[in-house]
Amino acid sequence: MTDGKDITEYCVKLGSELGAKYVEARYENERARGLAYRNGEPISGGTKPSVGIGVRLLVDGNMGFASFDRMDREIAKDAIQVALKMARNAQREEHIDMGEPVANKAKWTTDVKEPLSDVDIDTLMDTAKELNAQMKDLAQFMLVVNPTVVDKYIVTSDGTEITGHISYIKLWTLLTAKGKVESEQKYLDMTQSGGWERIKEGNVVETLGDEVRLIQKAALTARKVPELMERPIDMIVGPEVAGIIAHENVGHPSEGDRIMGREGAQAGESFWRDLKIGESRVGSDAVTVSEDPTIPNTGGFYLYDDEGVKARKRILIKNGILNEPLLNREFGVKFGTGSNGSARASSYNREPIIRMANTYFEPGDHSLEELIEDVKLGCLMKSFTEWNIDDRRYQSKYTGCVAYLIKNGELTDTMVRRPVMETTSVGLLSAVDAVSNNLRFDFPGTCGKSDPMQGVPVYAGGGEVRFRDIRLGGVG
Amino acid sequence: MTNLDDLKSYVDIAVDHAKEKTDGVIARGVLSSNSQIRFSQNAIDINKRWESFSLQLFLIVEGAKTGFSERSVSSAEDVKKAVDDTIEFTKRLPESIFFAGVEDNVHDYKVIAGTFDSKIDDFSDKAPGLVNAAIDAARAQGAKRVAGALKFGKEFQSFRSSYGPEGSTRSTSFDLNVRAFMDELDHSGQGLECGTKPSQALSGMIEAGAQAGRLAKQAVGAKQGKPGTYDLVMNPTVAANVMGFMVGSANPFMVMIGMSPLGDKMGQQLGPEFLTVADDPRMAGGLASRPFDAEGTPTRTFNIYEEGVLKSFVHNTSTAKMFETESTGSSRLVGLGQGLKMLLPDNSNIVFENGDRSFEELLEGNKPTIYVTSNWYTRFTNYQTGDFSTIPRDAMFLIEKGEMKPIKNVRISDSMLRMFANITAFGNNRRQIYWWEVDTPTFIPSVRIADCRITAATQ
Repeated sequence: MTDGKDITEYCVKLGSELGAKYVEARYENERARGLAYRNGEPISGGTKPSVGIGVRLLVDGNMGFASFDRMDREIAKDAIQVALKMARNAQREEHIDMGEPVANKAKWTTDVKEPLSDVDIDTLMDTAKELNAQMKDLAQFMLVVNPTVVDKYIVTSDGTEITGHISYIKLWTLLTAKGKVESEQKYLDMTQSGGWERIKEGNVVETLGDEVRLIQKAALTARKVPELMERPIDMIVGPEVAGIIAHENVGHPSEGDRIMGREGAQAGESFWRDLKIGESRVGSDAVTVSEDPTIPNTGGFYLYDDEGVKARKRILIKNGILNEPLLNREFGVKFGTGSNGSARASSYNREPIIRMANTYFEPGDHSLEELIEDVKLGCLMKSFTEWNIDDRRYQSKYTGCVAYLIKNGELTDTMVRRPVMETTSVGLLSAVDAVSNNLRFDFPGTCGKSDPMQGVPVYAGGGEVRFRDIRLGGVG
Repeated sequence: MTNLDDLKSYVDIAVDHAKEKTDGVIARGVLSSNSQIRFSQNAIDINKRWESFSLQLFLIVEGAKTGFSERSVSSAEDVKKAVDDTIEFTKRLPESIFFAGVEDNVHDYKVIAGTFDSKIDDFSDKAPGLVNAAIDAARAQGAKRVAGALKFGKEFQSFRSSYGPEGSTRSTSFDLNVRAFMDELDHSGQGLECGTKPSQALSGMIEAGAQAGRLAKQAVGAKQGKPGTYDLVMNPTVAANVMGFMVGSANPFMVMIGMSPLGDKMGQQLGPEFLTVADDPRMAGGLASRPFDAEGTPTRTFNIYEEGVLKSFVHNTSTAKMFETESTGSSRLVGLGQGLKMLLPDNSNIVFENGDRSFEELLEGNKPTIYVTSNWYTRFTNYQTGDFSTIPRDAMFLIEKGEMKPIKNVRISDSMLRMFANITAFGNNRRQIYWWEVDTPTFIPSVRIADCRITAATQ
């Protein structure tokens, strides 16, 4: 990293000398390997060692960004000069303000027992073989395994110097189970954060086997249950579905850049814009949703963000009331609170923007059995397939993949075919009356935002969440 | 400092260094310089510049073992190390089921006109002013807040295969999206413009701003839409995303991994007789126009749907052998997660035949009709049946008794196969669409589709 470190520091020095009020240079050295399989047979393999520096500059209240991928001072100089010139051309009337200087110096790393760089290709292929064996009875399946490590070095003209090490195993499958009438499909992400030990500690092979058996059963036995459509019912969702709801209906609208319109043309704005933080109610008392990058072995783990701000837990909604948005330095100034450490960039060639890390429903004090025993007619949606939400993050749809009928306080063996929760965010969160004590992060994913697209690893979860009097949707 | 002269030299070094140690090698050097201006709240938020020089290697060793690597390089030593590392990696892999050979004939490639804007370097200085002009155009229509992004750049590629083919390309591109808002969050409109020559598209970019502003203003007063069955009129932006799926799915790889409904439908009538769609890598101004594919097979235009009948999949050499047909010149290094790309077939420019209906004629009909101007977040319950939903965003209108009334908050929840079969007319306004929700450049007019299912939130 020596060359990279030297040139990173050179970028900050040069940018400052050329008149930038703030300069931030982020060196990233990423080593990714990839194996892909179709129906257990190899498609191909590849490697991508990627090295580069992204430089962000603030000049006369205008922001510029430049990146380059060769550790060459001349290229760095050219890139910085162009970025400065382009930034000056912006001529904003309202100057961008990064707030009080942040001058943290720290080193942080993902917890790793067996470094991914020590794992040879034969070991990767042996594990892929085990995973493929779990799926062998499916009609079609695809597996992609991507062990990836990233070393970061962030330097700013404020005096920040952060060294970070990230290690994760991106793992995803596309499952197709044959059904009596038609197939059932599910995209399953099992990404693990840490070293190779996470394959065992995360029970990846066993979890995949369980998921395969469930989707096979759903394909063969799930059926429409007309009485669920006739009246409002109670819906209990598992931690995977709770996770996607926490992420989409709470996490995204809490992003400060959306609230203030910066993502307007791409990822969209936020219904939080017209609400008051600390006052507006968007859910029942049972709803507390948090965001925490500091949880070890999670996809969203970091201890300092990509602006050098120390990470901490954020409570987005507290007992149903808006509590805190996600903020970086720029929007921390606009909200008058300062950053809460939410700036992430997906690569050296992307600007740091406000992102989620790990988003979840805080657990309650019920067991799952207690949630179920109080339901006369309802459904337990353990996992989902299709989902979407509008760009204000107000109208969402979640279609069940594995779902069971609940009747008279008992979970039945009857699998319900593709129940749909199509609601508004407030309608959904206001219907929550209880959350179980079973906090799990069952939804690893890659969150997409911005243009150019930035995909960053995140986790999401919760306890089981019970919604009262939900009218199932998907009816037109 | 690496530059354009190094591009061919590094590719040659890679092929020469690898060819004695492998069964085959394809090397591609890509030198690119791209910029983007992002704006919101009527002002520029950030100006970005990306400089990149990458070497892509696709190696074949010991029969059908295939390996890929991509990295930046700065010297001949870097190139040789990249080759040696990738050979070592690839040797340890099993044989690929998706490799059955690559192009092994040498060809002369016909130049495609109009892929490079000689004024691209001057455009950087003009771009901020142009963005501000697009913002002003939207505001002049009544918009309160305007956001968007203008991306533009140039790319040089040098390609050589140890099997013989070699060539080079140069291209420029731009794409602008402008989104205008009124005071309310859900009173918005969008305008798009894209192409290969930004210096010749100034008026188009400003018009994109004006269109966004007009639509935003027309969306004022939008009422909650009602679920039900409607005829839909999709403008080109929406049609490219939704109808494009039925073209992108005509791909043997997508069929084989379970992500296409077309596996058993070759030769079947899936659309109306007035529907013909081509894959056209030689389309003037097409953002995916290219003289040769990733293996060096010359590109050609071919119909995927002809008079509504599914006629062809895209193929590269390997899938063509698997399906006992000819390559369509559609080979591409397709990403399969971080670090891995594989030679697989993929679309270039998707080109729908233009229709003959004016906008007014397209809206005519005796059934309840909804006109949709943008959409996002298309997701599938099942790719094999085509069951999906997508969310209209920006201005949307219910057409009643010849009047357009703004509506909001509904979802298109239907089947791609059924909607494709239910196309009743095409507009005469074909244009190229390429933006956040459409990553394959698609030339398509507005489309009218009968009997589509519209859903909405239950609470």
